Amino acid sequence: MANTQILTEAEQNNRRRQRKRALVAYSFIAPNFIGFAVFTFGPIILAMIMAFMEWDGNNPMKFVGIQNFINIFSDARFIASLKNTIVYAIFTVPLTLIIALALAILLNQKVHGRNFFRTVTFFPYVASLVAVAAVWNMLFTPAKGGIVNQILLNVFHMPAMKWAAAPKTVMMTIIMFSIWKNMGYYMVIYLAGLQGINGELYEAAGLDGANAWQRFRYVTVPQLKPTTFFVIIMLTINCFKVYDIVYMLAGGSNGVINKSAIVLVYYIYEEAFRNWKLGTSSAASLILFLIVLTITLIQFRGEKNYAND
Amino acid sequence: MKKRILGSILAASMVAASLAGCGGSKPAETQAAAAGETTAAAATEASTTEAAKTEAASGDEAVTLKWALWDISSTSYYQPLIDAYTSKHPNVKIEMVDLGSTDYSTVLGTQLSGSGSDFDVVTIKDVPGYMTLVNKGVLEPLDEKIKADGIDLGKYNGITNQVTINDKLYELPFRSDIWVLYYNKDVFDKAGVAYPTNDMTWKQYDELARKITNTTPGQEVYGAHYHTWRSTIQLDGILDGKNTIVGGNYDFTKPYYEMVLNQQKDGVCMDYATLKTQGLHYSDAFAQGNVGMLNMGSWFISTLINKIKSGEYTGCTNWGMVKYPHAEGVEAGSTLATITALALPTSAPHKDAAWDFIKFVTGEEGAEVLAKTGNIPAMTNENIVSSIASMDGFPKDDTSKDALITSHTYLEMPANDKSSEIETVLNEQHDLIMSESTTIDDGVQAMNDGVQAILQG
Amino acid sequence: MNSITVNRRIGKTIIYIILFLLAFLMLVPFVWMITASLKLNKDIFVIPYQWIGYEPRFANYVDIWTKIPLLIFTKNTVKLTLIVTFFELLTSSFAAYAFSKLRFKGRDVLFLAYVATIAVPWQSYMVPQFLFMRKLGLADTHLAIIILQAFTAFGVFMMRQFYEGIPDSLCEAARIDGMNEYQIYLRIMLPLSKPALSTLTIFTFVNTWNDFLGPLIYLTSEQKKTLQIGLKMFISQYSAEYGLIMAASVLSLIPVLVVFLSLQKYFVEGIASTGVKG
Repeated sequence: MANTQILTEAEQNNRRRQRKRALVAYSFIAPNFIGFAVFTFGPIILAMIMAFMEWDGNNPMKFVGIQNFINIFSDARFIASLKNTIVYAIFTVPLTLIIALALAILLNQKVHGRNFFRTVTFFPYVASLVAVAAVWNMLFTPAKGGIVNQILLNVFHMPAMKWAAAPKTVMMTIIMFSIWKNMGYYMVIYLAGLQGINGELYEAAGLDGANAWQRFRYVTVPQLKPTTFFVIIMLTINCFKVYDIVYMLAGGSNGVINKSAIVLVYYIYEEAFRNWKLGTSSAASLILFLIVLTITLIQFRGEKNYAND
Repeated sequence: MKKRILGSILAASMVAASLAGCGGSKPAETQAAAAGETTAAAATEASTTEAAKTEAASGDEAVTLKWALWDISSTSYYQPLIDAYTSKHPNVKIEMVDLGSTDYSTVLGTQLSGSGSDFDVVTIKDVPGYMTLVNKGVLEPLDEKIKADGIDLGKYNGITNQVTINDKLYELPFRSDIWVLYYNKDVFDKAGVAYPTNDMTWKQYDELARKITNTTPGQEVYGAHYHTWRSTIQLDGILDGKNTIVGGNYDFTKPYYEMVLNQQKDGVCMDYATLKTQGLHYSDAFAQGNVGMLNMGSWFISTLINKIKSGEYTGCTNWGMVKYPHAEGVEAGSTLATITALALPTSAPHKDAAWDFIKFVTGEEGAEVLAKTGNIPAMTNENIVSSIASMDGFPKDDTSKDALITSHTYLEMPANDKSSEIETVLNEQHDLIMSESTTIDDGVQAMNDGVQAILQG
Repeated sequence: MNSITVNRRIGKTIIYIILFLLAFLMLVPFVWMITASLKLNKDIFVIPYQWIGYEPRFANYVDIWTKIPLLIFTKNTVKLTLIVTFFELLTSSFAAYAFSKLRFKGRDVLFLAYVATIAVPWQSYMVPQFLFMRKLGLADTHLAIIILQAFTAFGVFMMRQFYEGIPDSLCEAARIDGMNEYQIYLRIMLPLSKPALSTLTIFTFVNTWNDFLGPLIYLTSEQKKTLQIGLKMFISQYSAEYGLIMAASVLSLIPVLVVFLSLQKYFVEGIASTGVKG
């Protein structure tokens, strides 16, 4: 009897402490969460509900069940957009990651003009997309006299290519541009991550006789794990959300994007604002969301496993 | 307990958001219904309301009208129209709201969603955009007002019939551009070839283009130029009046694709893929001075006049224009029309004043202002045509003057519920055919299949 | 010994060759941009392209200020960007501390919900969001843009990942010393997170600076518009005038570069010396 009494008291104390800690935690989250929940999360939930509705943005919504999903999966443009987006992500994610990491390590060394090279690498990311896409389109013009085509011909003795103007090469051109434009961004994240690694670890590894590769493999890579987790998730999400790059490169002067280059978000945009079918558009968003969520969950499990090691 | 707190926050935000979403739509509907009733009622006492309206408009009550449009600084006629109107109605102020031209339909559609918009007058850019807004039920039907004010729709040369949906008209056109063939006289003189005429078949046009073409590297002359829009090629086929662009069968476009693709292959015109990627504007292409003929809308007239005057265009100062080429057996002067119109949103705060302004811009007084600035008003008559043709900078020859007189005009895109979806299919196949990624036969077949699926769905 | 120095030399040389190649690849388009901004429009499309040896024409840089109200647009953008960046940093680092260093019920689920929303494209909930904001009377206000940009899941996610790299033992020690959570956040976490904060500053700054569709939909009156809308207005109205467009682009690039350069030293400084395990 007395024993249980003590236990409950301890339990209560414990609970009280937990509650207090939780309240402190919520107070940390609240400023961001309230703004976020009201203005972003709410509309997002609504968008998910809209996936099962028919709505033109003005007239009352009508519940249509899974009809929107049936419609999009029988739409060749949606299927093409799904395929192109996946292809785009499969190539862009690993390539950008490797290049960004390599650049970060390179530019974390003591080299002359380090700041200059860092800035230069970051340049494309900050520049207005409209401007750099225009430049890129001039360089990679399908005309035989274009600068890149001239280099292909004179240096590599290769025939002129049509780049963004041909169905076979349009995705490749978009992927190249995307890596070029965004690698500086991920490089900066990696630089911040590298700065967080304790120098003593390298010294210890050096004393143990580790060579450069071993130091990279056994110090840098594991220490960068949280950063890499972040980079992979952001890269994946950003790849699945790619839109304006495709519009700028493949849309050209008449804004026509054919099946060889259409991506998911472009489809979502087109359904919503050309055809004002917000239901179908939301259904496509939900698919996009589920894909990314699955990938994120897998990554999360990976991170947890690592933390438990 | 914490779960509950969190849950209720989430629920609250959801409710708030869905309230915003649904709440936005309902009033609009009731408002539209109510508006229908009031206009019906108003019809019977049209004369009295009208009197009241004019009084309100010319009275001393200050009104500010918000007008949605695009490209304020590069459009020559907005301010003159406003000045002309406000000089007569000093109590009215007109505020232009520039929504940008590229995303105009997106932004306007979003703004007019729900019932909270404060636009009084909106410009309608194209027919798909018009159809979208009509389908959404955010535009006021104008028929009763038109009847009450005794506006003669006959003056619009039948255009208003083509945008009447289920016996209701939701917009009044103020600009009606027709398509013509521009040419560079210097290019023809240099090649020693006679100028194009006001009565040309497509075959004669093709021969002419080939005659003036020069493919010598470094001194290229292109006989013809086609901007990357599908209209420049597909629509050549509808001028016989037998085919329509929303009909579901596009076999009629084949001869035109064949003609242009052959020209492209022979260097008669620039390569579509390059034009598209580099984003070369048709005005720049023409201004370079090595393009013989360009099929384009009449909006290009004022651009040409102004830029030549300012000294920016030096390669095409000696230009002329003729009627659009036509198919064998079709009357010369058959051409495409692109209309720009004004509409009244159901949510407009000052409907009466807004309608008065719309009447002014789309009517004769507005037409005169437009003509003075080198633009073709929707309400045309001989006087207006000659006032444009007598503008300083307009070609002096009679052929160019006559080029503006039409026999039949066809809308670039007729009003159809599905016009924006049809447009997507047609654009996509146009792109594939012109970049030589698919054959003409396959591309046209894909158009037929795609559009028929949309029309049935 | 000698061979090691030789090897090092070779290594260094290779590194520099790579770096210069990189710099070249990165810079070519910008050199094009600057040269194009100094040309007459009709000279830009001349093939072969003239990189040097032409008379630079600075008129483009003068003209753009008169063709659209660029000064007002710049002011608005600066104002919005500063406010958004401030709030984003504050609320994100605050929330991230709880997600990383405090234990409470529903933490993982809530965090996952945060991350998951990054995956939803804005276009799909833009219309309900706009209608909601307008109901609150926020249409055509700068406040709408601030709200739109200042509470992002991205910021929380990024800061949380960074805090994950700071060992819990540091917080535990502080707790034993009698510090409360707010003090730990303020005195220990914030000073340690300079690289992450400067990274977030850069990203938020760039995003707000370059945001286009949001301001376009929300801001309708001329007096409130931002630089990117201006740039787009330019392009839609003078679509053919690359010289002007490039001049405007070059100008809009400068502030972002200044921010990047001024924050860069925090990457260099780092926290490697503070005795924290990464």
